[in-house]
Amino acid sequence: MKSEQYLVLHGLAIKKYASADAVAGIMGLDPEHVASVLREATARGRVLEANGKYSLTPTTRIALASDYSRHCADLRESRPFAKAYEEFERVNSTLKVLITHWQTVDIAGSAITNDHADTAYDSRIIDRLGDLHERADRILAEFARHLPRLQIYRDKLSTALERAEDGALEWVSDAKIESYHTLWFELHEDLLCMLGRTRVE
Amino acid sequence: MTVSTLRWIRRLDGGDLPSRHLVGGKAWSIAHIQSLGLSVPPAFVITTEAHAAFVAAGGFPDGLEDELAQSLAWLECSTGRRFGQGPKPLLVSVRSGAVVSMPGMMDTVLNLGINDGTEAALARECADAGFARDTHRRFLQLYADIVLKAPSPDTTHEETPAHRRQAIRDATGHELPQDAMVQLRGAIGAVFESWNSRRAKRYRQHHDIPHSLGTSVTIQAMVFGNLDECSGTGVLFSRNPLTGDKQPLGEYLRRAQGEDVVSGQFTPEPLSLMASSVPEAHEKLLAAAGVLEYAAKEVQDIEFTVERGRLFLLQARGAKLAPPAAVRTAVDMVHEGLIDEASALLRIAPDRIRVLLAPCLHVSVAACASEVARGEGACPGVGVGVVVTDADDAERRASGGEKVILARPTTSPNDLHGMIAAVAVITEQGGITSHSAVVSRALGIPCVVGCGAGSLLGLAGKTLTVDGQAGRIFEGALEVVRPDERSDDALVALTRWAEARSPLRVLRPADAPGDGVVDLDQVDGATDPARLGSILLRLRPARGARGGAIASDEGVRAAIAAGLDFIIADPVLPPLLAAVQVGAAKTSPTVQKGLA
Repeated sequence: MKSEQYLVLHGLAIKKYASADAVAGIMGLDPEHVASVLREATARGRVLEANGKYSLTPTTRIALASDYSRHCADLRESRPFAKAYEEFERVNSTLKVLITHWQTVDIAGSAITNDHADTAYDSRIIDRLGDLHERADRILAEFARHLPRLQIYRDKLSTALERAEDGALEWVSDAKIESYHTLWFELHEDLLCMLGRTRVE
Repeated sequence: MTVSTLRWIRRLDGGDLPSRHLVGGKAWSIAHIQSLGLSVPPAFVITTEAHAAFVAAGGFPDGLEDELAQSLAWLECSTGRRFGQGPKPLLVSVRSGAVVSMPGMMDTVLNLGINDGTEAALARECADAGFARDTHRRFLQLYADIVLKAPSPDTTHEETPAHRRQAIRDATGHELPQDAMVQLRGAIGAVFESWNSRRAKRYRQHHDIPHSLGTSVTIQAMVFGNLDECSGTGVLFSRNPLTGDKQPLGEYLRRAQGEDVVSGQFTPEPLSLMASSVPEAHEKLLAAAGVLEYAAKEVQDIEFTVERGRLFLLQARGAKLAPPAAVRTAVDMVHEGLIDEASALLRIAPDRIRVLLAPCLHVSVAACASEVARGEGACPGVGVGVVVTDADDAERRASGGEKVILARPTTSPNDLHGMIAAVAVITEQGGITSHSAVVSRALGIPCVVGCGAGSLLGLAGKTLTVDGQAGRIFEGALEVVRPDERSDDALVALTRWAEARSPLRVLRPADAPGDGVVDLDQVDGATDPARLGSILLRLRPARGARGGAIASDEGVRAAIAAGLDFIIADPVLPPLLAAVQVGAAKTSPTVQKGLA
């Protein structure tokens, strides 16, 4: 697999089911270029297309997974990158708890869906997300130092946070947009693929 | 020297209630609790004026250092403890406190004043070396994190304070001070500087809050809930926050510090045990709950500590309530004369009523149904459908009109399209913070997680009923019932009050006239709340509307804006509440609760 093709397919592996623009956006590639690579891959049966959105065929997914070790050999060797990744995993556990607190409220031991009627409660969680982001930002900067395209996540995460801080609550965890949680999850997926690791629930 | 000569500091000694602008929200609520005659740990506050002077001078203004020493001496005197020294060391908490709370301000530092010497003294005093060590460790962690901004350490291994100090030195190049006074100056400086953190500045800009407003710093003595058998800590709700029952509900942990209750490492005891171990404090606590609730006209969530039999209130705030409790307490408080009907209506967001009236399994149905799996309920709601085990399958079959339940060992982003298509999601592994749980809640899809390895995939092709609240999965398509708003006294009362005040009538289908009504189910795009405004302006119904998204909050707003006489909906209470709240927001721009 050629490297420019690899990045497009890798982007699709992260986004799972997405338009060419969305893949281009997260990988920092030219949308025209991504669209043409995806059209060609569709013609060759490596990618499926439905309603303007693409997804990898199972075979391509497997081929891609076995190719990561070659494309990401340097990254897998790097001690500083591995260290940053371990720190990311620690912040990741905190984030999962934080998002759970965002979605459900503990009331006398019962988990009740957060209906976002209590703005003081929501503000405290967004404040905690800001604290977490400041911790994460050091790690994200380290990632980007090793692999410049990862700066995109850093920028987009900071944008999502600022939108949430300005009162657009869906930017915390809405699964259908590039919310803080969506981006974080995609970055996590990106790292897992490249480093050849599996997610621990 | 007397109190009146203090320029930068206010003692919270139960005297006149200070100005909120001068002392900030947190110190003001401490003073407010005191003004009700209730006991809080002694505290003083460095005022927002001192902050302004700090900014102007680029450091502590003249005289602040002296006042700080005097005020600490006063705290020492009130507590019988010494700051930075044994045999009974005084530890303090340090909090930021602007008039309005905002993000990016420094968090609370607890247990400030502990060092190698005071740790040893504290260990002797409470005859618990483990506690003293833990307090020291927690302080180092918080101080490093909040004041020195050290990267979070890998705390999987136990380490001594000396090791921790070394690690902080290595990571930040700064020394974590042993001297209690130096610790305190550092924390005060960090509060003042956090005023100009990126997030705080952005927040003020966005909300038009002047940068000159400034923050205060509250310094409060720590009280100890672990000194003896007559000490402890707990939380109390002035009414049951799940049901709204008038009986206060609380938990108490003997010989424990506040963090222990929150950490979940210990199982707290019911309040009745507090009554037998510290009866006087228990009685005072219940009385305090009544006083605080009466003052706030809201159910109170109270944190407290008992030190050697003496009750201290640490915090009191409006409690978060489950939907049934929100309804019941609002109605009860009207009957008790605490609040009026109009305020009760403004307290309850229409969505809370929608949750109460959402379809659910009848208790008797669930009782005789056959359960095929059970896990943790991760998102409430009931889903009935056929089990599929693959996200692509789920999407394909759902687009063909079938109702499907997605069953997976765990979910990953690979499965998102299948989750969106499903009526319920169930997984074998993972807890309430897992991907499946987080995403289902974000999508509002009933979800049960952690049913056990091998428990679900064999169910492929079967029709099941998933109860995301109870975490139970049943065989077959069970009957789902919609609770009736007319069968609950509290909902009936709210409906009556709302009808008397609503700018828009809401009629049940059976009571509705046939003419002059637009049926929005026949209009393209009318299920999108955001488009209703323009649709109503275009169609100009003579009297009323039904169908589409007319019963949603946005629908109600559009109906009022279009000057409709009524809408037709079932249930009627959610749109009625929305209408009352829209009406109230028009007449008073300060209505914050509910829909505003």
